[in-house]
Formats: sequence, structure tokens, C-alpha cells
Amino acid sequence: MTVQANMAGAQPMARRFGAVLPLLKGLVAIAAVLLAVELLVIAFGIRPYVLPRPSAVIEAVLRTPGAYRDAMIRTGLETLMGFGAGALFGIWIGVAFSRLRFLRETIFPIFIVSQTIPVIAFGALVVMWFGNTILAKAVIVFYLTFFPVTVNCLLGMRAVDQKQVQLLRSFGASDREIMRKLRFPTALPHIFVALRIASALGLAGAVVGEWFGDTTGLGVLLLQGMYAENMVAIWASILCSAVLGIAFFGAIGLAEKRIVFWGGESS
Amino acid sequence: MTYDPMSPSQHALARGVFGGLALFAIWELAARLFDLPSYILPAVSEIIARFWTARAVLGEAAAYTLGEALAGYLLGGAIGVALALAVTLVPQLRKVIVPAATAVNSVPVVAFSPLILLWFGMGVSSKIVMVAVAVSFTMFVSALAGFDRVDERSVNLMRSFGASRAAILWKLRLPTALPLILSGMRLSTVRSLIVAIVTEMLGAYGGLGWVIYQAVIVIDFVQVWAAIFVASIASLGFFAVVSFLERRLVFWR
Amino acid sequence: MKRRSFLSTALALSTAMVGAPAFAQDLEEVSLRLKWLPQAQFVGFYMAKAKGYYEDEGLDLTINPGGPNLLTENLVATGADTFGLSGGTDSVFAAIEKGLPITCIGIAHQETPFVFVSKADGPVQEIADFKDASITTWFTGANYVLFGMLAANDLDRSSMNIQPQQVSVTPFVDGQVDVVTATRYNEYYSLMTRVGEENLKRFVPEDYGVSFPRDTLIVGNEFAAEHPELVQGFMRATVKGWLDTFADKEAAIDLIMQEAPTLERPHQEFMLDEIEKIMLAGAAAEQGLFTIDMDAVESAHQILVDYDVLGGPIDLAAAFDSQYVDAIPSAERLPE
Repeated sequence: MTVQANMAGAQPMARRFGAVLPLLKGLVAIAAVLLAVELLVIAFGIRPYVLPRPSAVIEAVLRTPGAYRDAMIRTGLETLMGFGAGALFGIWIGVAFSRLRFLRETIFPIFIVSQTIPVIAFGALVVMWFGNTILAKAVIVFYLTFFPVTVNCLLGMRAVDQKQVQLLRSFGASDREIMRKLRFPTALPHIFVALRIASALGLAGAVVGEWFGDTTGLGVLLLQGMYAENMVAIWASILCSAVLGIAFFGAIGLAEKRIVFWGGESS
Repeated sequence: MTYDPMSPSQHALARGVFGGLALFAIWELAARLFDLPSYILPAVSEIIARFWTARAVLGEAAAYTLGEALAGYLLGGAIGVALALAVTLVPQLRKVIVPAATAVNSVPVVAFSPLILLWFGMGVSSKIVMVAVAVSFTMFVSALAGFDRVDERSVNLMRSFGASRAAILWKLRLPTALPLILSGMRLSTVRSLIVAIVTEMLGAYGGLGWVIYQAVIVIDFVQVWAAIFVASIASLGFFAVVSFLERRLVFWR
Repeated sequence: MKRRSFLSTALALSTAMVGAPAFAQDLEEVSLRLKWLPQAQFVGFYMAKAKGYYEDEGLDLTINPGGPNLLTENLVATGADTFGLSGGTDSVFAAIEKGLPITCIGIAHQETPFVFVSKADGPVQEIADFKDASITTWFTGANYVLFGMLAANDLDRSSMNIQPQQVSVTPFVDGQVDVVTATRYNEYYSLMTRVGEENLKRFVPEDYGVSFPRDTLIVGNEFAAEHPELVQGFMRATVKGWLDTFADKEAAIDLIMQEAPTLERPHQEFMLDEIEKIMLAGAAAEQGLFTIDMDAVESAHQILVDYDVLGGPIDLAAAFDSQYVDAIPSAERLPE
């Protein structure tokens, strides 16, 4: 009862804001917050180096909309590629681990250790191995996303009630059928929790990946802003990351609502 | 009787060690057979030898980074639990805090790093803030899930016996939520160290990230790897300590 | 890009297999790794590419930006990139000392590209005032330039408060620091816009007997041995690109703004003006762009040996190879 316990709780919460309406409400709330910050900055005369006015930030985005749009598309694409591969691999290896104990006990610890390594330290290695392509960034996203999916898939597979397995088996169900009809559906809610965690991690991975010498992407814009001490540009990039992050988060929530319509483990 | 990959049995531990050793053996062989230069892949033996020769530098850096990570971890944990508590005790807050926290969390933490470095400087405080930001959301979600598990009928029962709010909190809510809070804390350990190191690499006066940054500049890749090994060991150690505390504190489960 | 390279490889393979003659337009695929993200500091390379100068020399050049924790020497040494615009003489020395198979074939910044700055009305008016000052500098090479300047002026740095400098110049602007380090094209611009140039005082390393040429062009030894003519071609195209840049700075800024639209145009214009001065300073004023001034290299080398940054002297003659740049007459390396 560990990662699982954490998930059990995250579950109802996730369902609550997976839908569209709360998302809309959230957008309204964000607009309200931006307005409040704008007024505060003006009222207290806060220097732009400390905090620029939100309107200045939005204006910066609108001045070169193409640059920010391209950056979002690029970063979004990297995240999507790596995330898709990471999710599929995570589920696949999670299923394999649940069946093959030797594999699980030998490889899993290496996976755990791999997650303690800061990717940013290996910029040069990533470029050497995967070049300066979008693939290199996707690999980093993959590296960060597959692990939570593996863990939760494995836990979900093992959360299956053994009595149900035996029941199905007594009706002559094959392993394959048990997997399809019982194990996998049971694991799905767990997997979705992991996907939600992984989406934020994956986006961070894409941003860091762009620090290894790239021409477009939100990570590039962030770096440029940082070294030119251009607070407005930094905030504009953060704003774009937020939009991407919320979109990913919302999309996974929606997918979950569609796929796990029966309401997950707590029902 | 669920399998817990995070706290393996003796048997599994042995297999894990076997897997690690096998990996090291392949690595060492690859580095030696192909005679790889250290800027591509240094041999494991070289890296381990460097542990000893650079023990003073690496030890000091590890302590520096662990200190930052721990401070940010505790701060972030406190913020997360406090927010969850606020949401539990004042349900009206939930509609505000939960979406706001989700929105902040959907921005990758690294995106805040330029800002936090410019606001808090290159010293220890910027690392602590970054770690706190990274940790607080996980803690908030975990703690909120824990508090949500409290049965409101029990709360009403205690109240009918005249228990104060504080008493209900201390005797019922916290013990019920504790397992989830602690598992959240355990999940946040590794992340806190990585965030501290990443932030150090962008600007710092010390720590493992700083050692890595310096080593890259003087093209000392054995040092880079040695620092990464130390970071990895420190993460696992931190993780183990928190897991141990968790098992001690939730002994009744 | 990826697809094109795949296609061209496939084409090259198929022509090789049937033994057909190579196409007239058979370009060698090469890459240039910059030391940082696109900005006016590197616009000459983009100019040469845009004008097709690299293609004229038989090169299909991709320009790869740099980033934090990416070392240009490392990527060129492994063959991940063919050419590099690397940190400077300091990073070339370090790479040679560590045995990386690279050679410096040209130097872009003839003088130290950074200066030390104090406030015009502050406590630091001359170099002697450094002794009681609080100073911040980058501990990635600039610190040794500072040490060298202090030593050349008989100042004891143990009495000073020298701290690593952060990404921001704000502590200096706010008066917490007396002396700050600034690149002439980047931080100095931030300082000018925030404090005003008339309120700043510059300490230029060259005025105190120290020089630290930076922004070095490097190439992998294996590639240079196999394709000296391509290295020569790269050099020729690069010089032409920079001369065109200085001839029409407006167009050059347009080009870089196209490459990185979120940059601030006035800043980039200032940067290009400064870069022009730095690239045409010192020996380059007579001999032309990318001149390797061995006297300046030796002086930088000496500082790093003196401060034990280098374990001992390195073979400078092997590390710096002037043949490619010298093959282009000085007249063709100077603006008209």
C-alpha cells in the first residue's frame, strides 16, 4: 500500500476536474487572477524586473505570435511523441513485469536508480547519441514518463482480486481473456493517474531537452529570456507552458472519463 | 498483500543487486573493449576510483545539495499539508485552491527556474524555493486524499461527544491521513534532489549541480559521472530513510 | 531536415552502388555548433548560410545552437558536430590538455569580450580601489582575467571580497556590489538600459595588460585531416558572411530577428556594433577577421598556467592552426 495509496486519493480528485466545465471555470479564474496581479503591480508600482504587468506579457506574446505558437507546437510535439512512447512502453513493461518475476526483480531496481539521475547533466551525451533532432527531446520525455506508468500499471495489475481471477478461470477463461476482461480494466484507473503525473514530468523533460542546443521551443525562449534578463519574455514563456500543461492535463482527464466510464477502483 | 516495488523483500533485493552488477559489468566491458574516451563513456572503475580521490569535494557538495533539498522538501511538505488542511477545514476554499494548485502544477517546475534564480539569487534560497514548489503539489494531493478518507460520520460522532475541532483534527483526521501524507513524502524525495541539482546547474555557489557544471567546463567527465553517482546514491539514501520513518510511524498498518 | 539528410544519404549510397558519377551539386553535410543560442553575436554564420556561401564551397551546413552545460569542444571532438564556435582560448586549452582531438582554426573575438564595471559615482574609481571593493565575476574563466589584472597592478586579491556572479546584474544595480563583470554586448547593455551609460565606469582588461581572446572556431582533427579543402572552404564562406554582415548590419539584424523573433531588436543592434569592434580589434585590424594572434593566445595561456588552471604549458603550435585563415589574403578579410 504505497504508490497505490497515493493514487486511491488522487483518483476522485482527478475525476472532479477532468471535465470541460471546471476547465472553463479555471480559465475564468486565471483571467481574474491576471487582472488582480495587473492592478496590484500598478497600485504598488512594482518594478518590471520584479514582476511585469500581465498585460505587458500578453502584449509580448501578441507582438510575435508566430514565435510563441511555433515554440508551443514544437514543445507540444516533443512531449506528445515521448509521452506516447513512454505510456505504451510503461504499460507494456508493466504487464511483462506482472508476469515475469525474474525480469521484474532484476530490471525494476535499475529503473528506480535511473530515475534518480538528473537528465540535464547528460546534455552532451544526448546530442551525441540522438543528434539535434526532435527525437532527442522525445527520448528525454520518454525517459521521464515511462517510469510512473510502469509502477502504476504493475500495481494495478496486482490489485486484481484473486478470487475473481479464479472464478474466471473456473469458467475456462484463458490468460489472455483474463488480461483483457479483468486485469487490464482494473489497472486502467491506476494507469491514468500515472499518465497525469507523467504529463507534467514529460513537459518538463521537453523544456530541459531544448536546453541542449535547439532553435525553437519554450525551453529556448526561457533560456533566452533568462540570460537577457528579460522578465517579460520569461513570463510569456511560462504562460505558454501553462497553457500546454493545462491542455495535456485536461486531455488526459477527458480521455479517462471516456475510457474508464465505470469510475475506477473506488466503485 | 500487494506487491510493493518500492520496498522489496530480501530475495528481490538480491536480484536487484545482481541486475545492477550485471549492468556495471557490461558498462565496464564496453568502455574497456572499445577503448572509449572518457568524454564519451568513462569506465565504472574509473568513476569509483574518483569517489575516493575527490571525496572531499564530492562529500561537501553532496552535503550542500542534500541540505538544500531537505530544507525545500520540508518547506514544500509543510505548505502542501497546510493547504490540504485548509481545504478540509474550510470546504469553501476547495473550489479556489484545487484548480489554482492544478494550474500551477501543470507548468513544468523548470520553467520557473529562471524567474526564481532572478528573484532569489544564486544562493541556497533559490534552490530551496524551487524544491518547495516541486514538492508542495504532490504533498497537497496526497494529504488531501488522506484527509478525504476521513469518515464524516466519525467526525459527527466525535463532535456529538463534545470533542473540539482541534481534538478531532489531532485524534481522527491526522492519524487517518498520515499513511497517505507519508507516502507522498516518500514519492517526493527523489524529485527534491533532482530539482535542487538542476537549479544548481543554472547558477549556484556550491553543490553537486555546481560540481557537474564546473567539471563540464574543464572537460573532466569522470568528475561529472562521479557527481551523478553520488547524486544517485544520495537520492536512494534519502528515499530509504523516509521509507524507514514511514514504516515506523504507520506501524499499525 | 532529417528526411532530407536521409534522402541524400540514400541517394549517395545508390549512386555509389551503381558506380554512377556523383552529382555536380554533391554537397558534404557538415554542422557548426555555436556556443549559445542564436543572437547577433553569431549572425555572420547565418548570413553566410543565407547567401549560399557554404553551398558554393560544397558544404551543406547546419547551424546548431549551444546551451547551458553543452561543451562545443566535446561535441566537435566526438564528431557529433563538424565545426564549432567554442567558448574561447580558455576552453581550447582545457580541451587540448584533456586530449580532445580538436584544433582551433580561427579566433573571432580578438580582445577580451567582457569588462569590469563600477558606478561612476561609486567607491571604485580606479583599479587601486578594487582592494576594498565587493566584486562579482564569473568563476568560469573571467575570474582569472580579473586575477591577472590585479596581479599586473600589484594588488592583493586576498583583501577583496570576490564572489561568483549570478545570472542577474540586479545586485550591482541595487548597490549591493561595487564591481560587476559584463560582456560588452550583453550584460553591459542591461546595465546601460537600467543605470544609464553615463553612470557607469568600465575597466577594460587590455588597459591593464591582460588579454583573453574568446569565441574560437574549432574543427575536429580527423575531419581536418581528411578534408582540408572543406575546412578551407568553410573558412572562406564564414569570412565572407561576416564581411557582408558588417557591410549591411540592418539586413543582418533582420536575419537574426527572423531566426529568433522574441529577441529585442535594439539590443541585437547594440550587440552587433560591439561584436564588430571586438572582431576587428587588435591584430585583426591589420590582418583581418579570424586572425590567430599568437601573442594574445600566449598571454592568456600564461595566466591560466600561472593560476594552475592548466597543469602545465600545452603545445600551442599544435592547438592553434593558422593555415586556413592565413590562406585568405588579409585584404579579403577586411571590410572595404
